[in-house]
Amino acid sequence: MTSTLTDLRTDALREIGNIGLGGAVTALSDLTGVLFTLEAPQVHQVDTTNLQHLCCVSPESLVVGTISQVKGDWPGEGAFLFPWDSACVLWQALVQMQPRGLEELNELYQSVINEVSNIMLGNYLQAISLMTGFTLHMEPPAIAADMAMAVLSSILVEALYEQRELLAIETAFKTPEHEFKGYFLYLPETGNLEKLFGVLGI
Amino acid sequence: MAEVRLAGMGEIVSTRGSGVVGCIGLGSCVGALLYDPRTQVAGLAHVMLPEAHEQDAFTTPGKYATTALPALLRHLDTPAALASRLKAILIGGAELFQSRSQTLRIGERNVAMLHHLLSELRINIVFEHTRGNSGRSFEFDVATGVLRVRVVGGTQVERDLSVALGIMPKAA
Repeated sequence: MTSTLTDLRTDALREIGNIGLGGAVTALSDLTGVLFTLEAPQVHQVDTTNLQHLCCVSPESLVVGTISQVKGDWPGEGAFLFPWDSACVLWQALVQMQPRGLEELNELYQSVINEVSNIMLGNYLQAISLMTGFTLHMEPPAIAADMAMAVLSSILVEALYEQRELLAIETAFKTPEHEFKGYFLYLPETGNLEKLFGVLGI
Repeated sequence: MAEVRLAGMGEIVSTRGSGVVGCIGLGSCVGALLYDPRTQVAGLAHVMLPEAHEQDAFTTPGKYATTALPALLRHLDTPAALASRLKAILIGGAELFQSRSQTLRIGERNVAMLHHLLSELRINIVFEHTRGNSGRSFEFDVATGVLRVRVVGGTQVERDLSVALGIMPKAA
């Protein structure tokens, strides 16, 4: 891939992931009463052949994913991926019930996941905004529940549509209380990276 | 079933006479398979986008519908002029994120572009399991012509396409 990221820039993107999602995870903990912790963010230059390294979920397992378009000074796509059992932890914490399967995934359950992504992505963008002075706003999320690889590839294709390279800032969050893993991906339009690095002075 | 040769995103795989090819977790992507009954070669491209807009079409032709079909013809060693003897199978092209699909509708456009290009080449589509809102995985056994498509929740579609593809039964 071109525009090879220096270590410093990769670190900066990782740190943005950390700061951005730190607040988001706190918001989620407040909302659910469950303590969530962050894993160290990873920055991937996505080559479509290395998808299996992105979000450690088995390719045909059931996941619930959302994608929201971000507009403004650092545009891109913000996406969340929850393995089914992890989504169930969120449903149980937020509405005290859970669907028994895909066929029971009604509007209520979908709006719970949409709301979780809204709050988390909103917090993430706010943190970046405070750090950089960027104006950022997001579109309402779209949701899908399907095979992990189908959801993930659909997210990546949406982000790839306008560009050749893809950068993914991946942050996983978990909780010691439950079998839970959540994945957040920010897929910035790579053409706008210079702008970000410029503001950060690197 | 024998070991499956999977086409990852943007990849092309091919096999002759025997073997199984397939794709895992197709969302808006389309698995476009061409089969040549004369040579018994099957080529499969995991198409991600309808049109090439960048020069990486040369390095990963399987990624775009417009470059994947010419690349498949090369894999099958079939001149475009003789392409009408080929048979096509299309799987995928769903819109998983429905509330957003008005914006890009990539799945639909992948399928439409492949239909358009295949009809220009006068290649018959013998089977397709496309569009809709569900992800798919599939496997195609080149020796028997049996196609298996899986969607989430364990539903499976199985078709014997040997007659449609002109696959001769092996002598006992």
